[in-house]
Amino acid sequence: MSLVQAILIGIMSCTAASTIACLGTTVGNYTLNRPLVASLFVGLILGDVEGCILIGIPMQVMWIALVTPGGTVASDLRAVSYIGIPLAYVGAKAAGMDFGGDEAYALASSISAMTGVIGISLFYGTAMMNLIWQHIGWAQLDKGNLDCLGKVTAIYPLISHFVLSFLPVTLLCYYGSTAVESLFAQLNTDVWYVKAMLAVGAVLPAVGIAILLKSVVSKPTDLIYFLLGFALAKSMGLTLIAATVVGAVFALINYNMTMMKLSGVSSGSADYDDEEDI
Amino acid sequence: MKKISKKTLNSSFWRWWYGNLTCFSQEHMQTFGYMWSMLPIIKELYATKEEQCEKMTAYYPFFNTEPQIGCIVVGITAGLEEARANGAEGIDDEMINGIRAGLMGPLAGIGDSLIVGTYIPILLGIALGLAEGGSVLGPLFYIVVWNVTSTWFQHFVYMKGYELGGSAVELLVGEKATAFRESVIVMGQVIVGAMAASWVSVTTPIVIAKDSTGADVLLQAKLDGAFPGVLTCLFVLFAWWLMAKKNVTPIKVLLLFVVIGFVGSVIGFIG
Repeated sequence: MSLVQAILIGIMSCTAASTIACLGTTVGNYTLNRPLVASLFVGLILGDVEGCILIGIPMQVMWIALVTPGGTVASDLRAVSYIGIPLAYVGAKAAGMDFGGDEAYALASSISAMTGVIGISLFYGTAMMNLIWQHIGWAQLDKGNLDCLGKVTAIYPLISHFVLSFLPVTLLCYYGSTAVESLFAQLNTDVWYVKAMLAVGAVLPAVGIAILLKSVVSKPTDLIYFLLGFALAKSMGLTLIAATVVGAVFALINYNMTMMKLSGVSSGSADYDDEEDI
Repeated sequence: MKKISKKTLNSSFWRWWYGNLTCFSQEHMQTFGYMWSMLPIIKELYATKEEQCEKMTAYYPFFNTEPQIGCIVVGITAGLEEARANGAEGIDDEMINGIRAGLMGPLAGIGDSLIVGTYIPILLGIALGLAEGGSVLGPLFYIVVWNVTSTWFQHFVYMKGYELGGSAVELLVGEKATAFRESVIVMGQVIVGAMAASWVSVTTPIVIAKDSTGADVLLQAKLDGAFPGVLTCLFVLFAWWLMAKKNVTPIKVLLLFVVIGFVGSVIGFIG
């Protein structure tokens, strides 16, 4: 990886920090921060969009639902997206893996989990450093300088991103990629410990799905719907979008029944057409 | 009669849309984003610097919610400030902060479960399907659909909050909205099941017997004969049970699964 490529990836990581992204919540955190989206940009920077997206898919599955209740994060995806994807890509390439194959999938899952954990320190580091800017902000507000708010909110945090996002990501990509390349060039996937690492990569996505499951299940009977979806896809071979349609049918039935209960069954037809009101 | 101009409202909205979390810290979270967003409104409603500074102190207290659905709170306070500037009775800092503090918890719960926990994963799920084989269609689909729908929604609830004031909350927590939300979550539960089946694959190479022709009888084949993918399903449910019922943090579950995968592979249970 050239220094320019590493710098570009470093800049992307600043735009995309979990929660604190310098491009804001919607564009930064929930778009550029997601590994699937990041894989497109990393692919453009590294010159292999298709390969990077294939690597990005298992990394996205791992962290498909990342809720940050009360600002406590399980992972900062900027590390997964902008350290994990580039390094997994150069590693898989050096080992001569098929990017869409099982080995690359398991490798990417393992790296996704590891870099996700690194990300946590980046997240708390950035949040700590922002305390400095907020401290400056309160001091200015005490003096009656309201116009400092724009600087505190939009400008000063860029310094946090430079120190805690740009520098570590650029350096890890630049120096890490060489190390990863030489390590993976001699990788023999038949050795027991490499097999074990790939097995780890196969079971880890279960945790990612379970995080998501936790956010939608509130009582044990909800798990029946989960099992229904599982059987639809596994036993009946439905694609995800087809399963979504079946899920939508159950959602509609549930909505109509709830509204009927609310309006009293005797009043007959409740109006069903107001779902769009939200 | 003072009226906040459309331009100022939009400026306040975009400031919140962009800056709600850019200066996040564990101590003040979204407080600075909130103040920055209220600044154009306060400046338009009050001419003197002293008044502006005084009114801004209403927004000093801590604020944190799911910021996208939280647009409605910023909209509501914009409406309240306008009413206060026109001399409405009973609107003071305490009342404004009562509303802010009262809404941020429930809205965070709704936003986290509905937007972050259901809507985004569904979009990502579809995008992952489209990305198969390395197609750029997947990421592009997500970028466009998410940003357009989410920004539209945020603008919509901000303006509703401004127009309707406190009663706007009915839109999000009323009976109809609750029924709608719970129904969407039912769909989410089905989709998560389909995601688990599509993307996770835990298999075992254990041989349980030889059949009459001498070929291996695999445990995996027997299990799949009963309920296809049952092993995968059990792993997901086990991880869910640890997090939801035993309150184990996701990181600890991840580490546990690293150990299970590693040891399982070495002793020939997983692979």
